[in-house]
Amino acid sequence: MWKRLNSLIRHDDLDRRLNAEVRFHIEMETEKNIRLGMSPDDARLKALRSFGPMEKHKEETRDARGVGWIETLVADLRYGGRALLKHPGYAVLAVLTLGLGIGANTAIFSVINGVLLKPLPYEHGERLVVVQQSAPLSGRRSTGVAIAEYFDYRERAKDAFDGLVEYHQMNFDLINRGEPDRVNTGVVSANFFDLLGIEPVIGRTFVAADDVKGAEAVLVLSHTYWQTKFGGDPNIVGQVFEMNDRPHRVIGVLPNVPHYPQENDVYMPVLACPFRAAAEGNIARNRRAFAALNVFGRLKPGVSAEQAASTVGSICHNFTNDRTFAQVYRPEQSGFQGTVVEVRDALTSGARDMLLILLGITGMILLIACANVANLTLARMLGRDRELAMRTALGAGRSRLVRQLLTESGLLAVCGGIVGVVFAYGTIGMLTRFVGRFTSRTGEIEIDLIVLIFTLGVSIVTGILFGTLPALGSRVDLVSALKQGGGQTGESRGRKRMQGALIVAQVAVSVVLLVGAGLLLASFYRLQRVETGYRSTGVLAAQVYGNFSKYPDVDSLRRLYLPMIDRLQSQPGVVSVAVTNAVPLAGGAPGTTRFDIEGRVTDDPERRPTSDTRIASSKYFETIGIPLVSGRVFNDLDTDISNPVIVINKSMAKYWDGTDPVGSKISTDRGEHWFTVVGVVGDVRQFGLAQETVAQLYVPLTQTPQGFAGQVLVRTTGDPASFSNTLRNTVHLVDSTLPVEQVQTLDDLRSEALAAPRLTATLLAIFAALALLVTLAGIGGVIATSVTQRTKEFGLRMALGAGRDSVLAMVIRQGLSLVVIGLAVGVAGALVAGRVLNAYLYQTAPRDPIIFAGVAALFILCGIIACLIPARRATTVDPLIALRAE
Amino acid sequence: MAKLDLLQGTLDLLILKTLALGPQHGWGISQRIQQISENVLRVNQGSLYPALQRLDTAGWIESEWGASENNRQAKFYKLTKKGERQLRDETAQWERMTLAVQKILETEA
Repeated sequence: MWKRLNSLIRHDDLDRRLNAEVRFHIEMETEKNIRLGMSPDDARLKALRSFGPMEKHKEETRDARGVGWIETLVADLRYGGRALLKHPGYAVLAVLTLGLGIGANTAIFSVINGVLLKPLPYEHGERLVVVQQSAPLSGRRSTGVAIAEYFDYRERAKDAFDGLVEYHQMNFDLINRGEPDRVNTGVVSANFFDLLGIEPVIGRTFVAADDVKGAEAVLVLSHTYWQTKFGGDPNIVGQVFEMNDRPHRVIGVLPNVPHYPQENDVYMPVLACPFRAAAEGNIARNRRAFAALNVFGRLKPGVSAEQAASTVGSICHNFTNDRTFAQVYRPEQSGFQGTVVEVRDALTSGARDMLLILLGITGMILLIACANVANLTLARMLGRDRELAMRTALGAGRSRLVRQLLTESGLLAVCGGIVGVVFAYGTIGMLTRFVGRFTSRTGEIEIDLIVLIFTLGVSIVTGILFGTLPALGSRVDLVSALKQGGGQTGESRGRKRMQGALIVAQVAVSVVLLVGAGLLLASFYRLQRVETGYRSTGVLAAQVYGNFSKYPDVDSLRRLYLPMIDRLQSQPGVVSVAVTNAVPLAGGAPGTTRFDIEGRVTDDPERRPTSDTRIASSKYFETIGIPLVSGRVFNDLDTDISNPVIVINKSMAKYWDGTDPVGSKISTDRGEHWFTVVGVVGDVRQFGLAQETVAQLYVPLTQTPQGFAGQVLVRTTGDPASFSNTLRNTVHLVDSTLPVEQVQTLDDLRSEALAAPRLTATLLAIFAALALLVTLAGIGGVIATSVTQRTKEFGLRMALGAGRDSVLAMVIRQGLSLVVIGLAVGVAGALVAGRVLNAYLYQTAPRDPIIFAGVAALFILCGIIACLIPARRATTVDPLIALRAE
Repeated sequence: MAKLDLLQGTLDLLILKTLALGPQHGWGISQRIQQISENVLRVNQGSLYPALQRLDTAGWIESEWGASENNRQAKFYKLTKKGERQLRDETAQWERMTLAVQKILETEA
């Protein structure tokens, strides 16, 4: 053992001694031969012959030193490194190409690792499940969980869960040194943090005593909020802040872990939320009061998610079929049901498909990169035939040669891997933002050890992949290789076939990517041209929410907003001002309020048409630019004591079957109250550019019976963005404690809505363009080497009378034939693979023939250009020189 | 004289036996083998060296640089205790084998 280690360390020294030993042997043998009567020259020759192949023996001696693979590897690496440095252009190109392919995969993998693969950072995260209720027959995928329902589950599912907690998010104002700070507040059960296994870094989290009536209001701060707003003040525990007109005492700070289900700034116990507390008082009268809870729990050990699902399902079945709640649930019509879903799935399922698609794409890019480097290597092999032949003649074993070639490839691949990691670092920020549109679990995306190991593995596999191909073709025909001028040996024909096959594969993969990019771009273009139904340019929007305790009812809200509208209207540069409860394209889902049309009452209440309800101040339609179709919009005569009126949109007007709805009445509570339709306005894309418009009705701000959130809209003469400070100041003149948030122009909002499809299309287009470039470079390279090899042939042809054009045509035909075969394969692949993109296409068929034709034409054109450059070199061959050259 | 190709194991055996007669350097070993076998066994001289290294690594011989008969520096090899044991074992095995082959060849056809 020591001898082996010794040999490894004193390598050079031992080599020198071996040489000395062999030299001694030859000298002695030579002298013996001289004594036998030979001339000194003959004596030495005979001595050398008797010794046998010297290098081989020396090599075997070195091998016999027994360090085995390490020493061989080091030697191979040294050799490979030197060989690469001799051809820096090739090495740099190969490393960059590989770096791109490996880097793209590394980046995507780190996202997949952080979103899909990593276990949740909570204790027993795999046992966390969320209770989901839905009413599929009524078309409601998610109905939330109401307070009373949560109590039922908590009471009755004790043997399935270790604990069942509730969560909902509110926006409250935390008065910090007199400044109102709008904070995302998580309102949670007392054992919420215990369930997740989150220990505070300072202080404590909630206990049962914090969540009883009359208990002091307490707060737990998130780590980020503590750092950014309080500078990580270690004395934060015990400080008191005003929230919802009550003092709240900070009792602890959370560690820096990702939050579930949403990121929040602070947390409070359930009864500290005034809205929730009020609703809880109502559950006797309203079974589904406050159906906005997220309910989740931890499975008892030994209980599976399926078992818990069936427990929850039967509890749900029991209360939906309870006579007392017959009118509430109507299970046969609504299909109301409850089940349980693993938290990890719930968090990440939105991103899974997109990420797998991206992984497929980057895998394809890597294959293209490998094919390119393999082609580069094959091309270089043509120049190394002689070198390899000599080495074989000198006794290098074939396996040793192959090993050396593989080591060289491995070296390239590992360097490519390093470049790839750098590339991944650069792109991971952008990717994280991109995937954030599909899932909220982005906080754990990072390039960590697992990702690096993945990169190493991919690099090694890549090296083997593109290294074996040329190495396989390294069977060397000694005689013909050593002969001057090589010529077309059977060897190089095999290699040429391999190069051709690689090109075809690259073209096919590039075609698939290009078609995908083309489809997404076409879809994005169509999406962009969607008529929103309103005029977004020149309008500034802001969220101005009245604090619940200061403005507990509709009257106080009106007393807030109506003067605010007047003040804003009087500012210079303002065309009109409005207040509504949500701006279009700000996301959300349509409400489903059922209504009856006077004179057309339906028997089955579940079959009534539904509509989404919007609240609009009098100048809303002109501010946002929705056209009036018939009747009138709201005006100052519509007050809280005048006739209740509404305005409907064209989609809702369809329910009147052609008659003019203006003047007729509708009711949303089965006839108790009626509203008169005074006008019909145009449809808007409220919930998304790709979403169909829904029936909507607008209630005047002055007449709405319910509380709402205030969205202020201001149409300005100049650039709306420059109005934001004036907006803020004017609002604060009305009430200085009101935070003004989400200030953006409607144009920005529209851009936001287009962001995800824009990014997806751009991403794929970039990948496809890269693939195209790399493939074209590959084609160019292969054609160029082919031309170099066929110099003699071209010379001959031209000497025999062929014109330059026919030679040009020959070369181009050779290249194009590869492209066409690749196109055929690629088109077939794209037809099959296109279905994968279905979910992301807007009004674009995955088999759109225009896109396919376009891609084919593009490729043929580019292919011709790629062949043209080396082809022109073929035509500049001087026939005489070519024929003479060896 | 025909050069008989020697199997690796056989060469090892011959080297060990040669060194049992006393320490020697590589060239000397090749000469001895040639002499004693009366030129029947002409070892491809170079293949001695990998064999010597192998035996060295296995611990059956050890080496030392010293002065040769004509005062030149040469690497001398000598048998170790382990090597002596190995030589005894392999010789016995070889004898057993040749005895068996002989018996088969002597059997009447």
